Amino acid sequence: MAYLTGYEYYENNGSLPEDKNWGSYQYISLDDIVNNFMLMYVGNDKLVNNVERYNVLFHAKRGIQELNYDALKETKIVELTVCDNATVVLPPDFVNWVRISLYKEGVLMPLTENIQTNFAKSYLQDNDCKVLFDESGDVLIGTSLLDADRVDGIQKTQYLGDGKLNGALGYNIEGKWVFDYAIGARYGLNTETANINPTFKINKSGGVISFSSSMADQIIVIEYVSDGMEGGDDASVSVNKLFEGYIYAYIKYAILNAKFGVQEYVVRRAQKEKSSLLRNARIRLSNIHPGRLLMNMRGAQKWLK
Amino acid sequence: MRGFLFFVYLCIKYSQMINSVRNTVLAVANKHNFGYITPADFNLYAKQAQLDIFENYFYRYNEWIAKQNARVSGSGYADIVKNLEEVIDTFSVEGFLYNVIDNKYKMPNEDNNSSTYYLLNKVLVYTSFITKGLTDGFDAGNNIIEDSTKDFSTIIVGDYVSFEINDEVIFVKVLEKVSQTELRVDSNLLNSSGVTYTIYNTSVRQNEAERVSHSKITMLNSSNLTSPKTTSPAFTQSELTINIYPDTINNVGQVVAQYIRKPRDPKWTYINLTDGEPLFDQGASDYQDFELPATDEPLITSKILQYAGISIREADVYQVGATEEAKDKQKQG
Repeated sequence: MAYLTGYEYYENNGSLPEDKNWGSYQYISLDDIVNNFMLMYVGNDKLVNNVERYNVLFHAKRGIQELNYDALKETKIVELTVCDNATVVLPPDFVNWVRISLYKEGVLMPLTENIQTNFAKSYLQDNDCKVLFDESGDVLIGTSLLDADRVDGIQKTQYLGDGKLNGALGYNIEGKWVFDYAIGARYGLNTETANINPTFKINKSGGVISFSSSMADQIIVIEYVSDGMEGGDDASVSVNKLFEGYIYAYIKYAILNAKFGVQEYVVRRAQKEKSSLLRNARIRLSNIHPGRLLMNMRGAQKWLK
Repeated sequence: MRGFLFFVYLCIKYSQMINSVRNTVLAVANKHNFGYITPADFNLYAKQAQLDIFENYFYRYNEWIAKQNARVSGSGYADIVKNLEEVIDTFSVEGFLYNVIDNKYKMPNEDNNSSTYYLLNKVLVYTSFITKGLTDGFDAGNNIIEDSTKDFSTIIVGDYVSFEINDEVIFVKVLEKVSQTELRVDSNLLNSSGVTYTIYNTSVRQNEAERVSHSKITMLNSSNLTSPKTTSPAFTQSELTINIYPDTINNVGQVVAQYIRKPRDPKWTYINLTDGEPLFDQGASDYQDFELPATDEPLITSKILQYAGISIREADVYQVGATEEAKDKQKQG
């Protein structure tokens, strides 16, 4: 018998939400992983014995988290409008960003991260530069000038200047400015910051993304990775079936590695099994197939300027 | 003549183990005029002997698992672990636990009851329920769940209803939807109002709760990744109760336990004859045979002889029992 009937899959048995089971066949639930592991890998005649279920659950979740950080290509995508103070609050399950883009005039334009700081916490000080405290002894916090300048568009990039033509001699011909070619290279340009487009900086502890001033009221698209824990709802935690074997191997290795008295060769064997299954799964997930290769290879004969 | 032989055959086939054991014990003890063992004393020794052997089953089970892993045990008829499991499983009981208060449930522990627990093996939890409440009426047939504050329109025939009567959990099916507020159930114990009930869907899933030590439960409850949830519940065990986590598991009939019960106390019952000689009477209401398999009869006899030998200060009797037991153990590996 099928796991789900067609009606259950397509229309959730007439219940809401209708799309609950769409694509669910790709995944195996956390519940199933723990259950299968306890059933198949734990026992009197198995390598793993006398292990509590919460141990298995912990390692299963850790394995899924690790996968989400670096192996799974399951990015979450959220669209938001930047508020007037040029900041956006991070999504609730945000762990790290993949790409942040500006969506404007039908084009998705990836933004560059500002490697310099564009925000700060401002401690209040008196005329003698002494830090001020409240009655509880905590430092008083004021409005950051750095932050205010970012919002007002006053903040500049040190090495970028105002563009390569700013201050250069030119000719105004019939209302249009014409410049000579600059002679020589632009020595001193910091290529890391050489970008005239809007930038962003993630304030991780503050839980916000701070954009440059021109991003206020613009629409952005954040692509990010989470840890796969679905906000603590165990029933929703799942992992792609291509990684199922890896997760079992990860749990087995983690338990054997932490257990007293297990021979080193047994631990090594478990470690190797885990690593090779991760490689296998990554290859499977990379989806290299002739159709995709053909599209890539169409550019092979392209002339490079 | 054939009728008499058949009667003898039936007597042998259905002869009770406890009587056989007692006859053997008396025969051995009387052979050397060591004295008479009264029925009361015999029953005391029999109880101790049975408990002793019963407990030893678990140690033997463990030993044989180690042997099995060392490839000493075979399969088929040589599968000793399976044989031991079979004996232990004859004492397996499954029953709903009484909800004392909040997430605290009571273990069955009445003295010498058929369900007095010895070893808690598994605790199962119903993950969800349809509705719960308190009855505010009852019917002459004592089989109606009546709650005027509820709307039972979503309940279907076949759903489960659990309720608590006299410290006992009753778990029955819905037989008929009498009205929006009344359900006829498969029980005739609902003879008063104010009964706490919970209704479960037929397809509701049971999840196994894991036993956690008291030293770990606080940390486990505050753990972000592994705190108990309805999908992975946990419990701690106290003297006569268990506490289930998460503490939202607090409904009537939500917790089921599978446990190994204690063997009932054996009792050799008798009728006093005029000359004072007791005659075995297996029809007495308090009669109880040994519950261990018939193959344990020699061991039970040896044990009782040991107790009897200690009691009458006869080292020889004790020695006979001890030697027989040692031989038996050697044979069983």
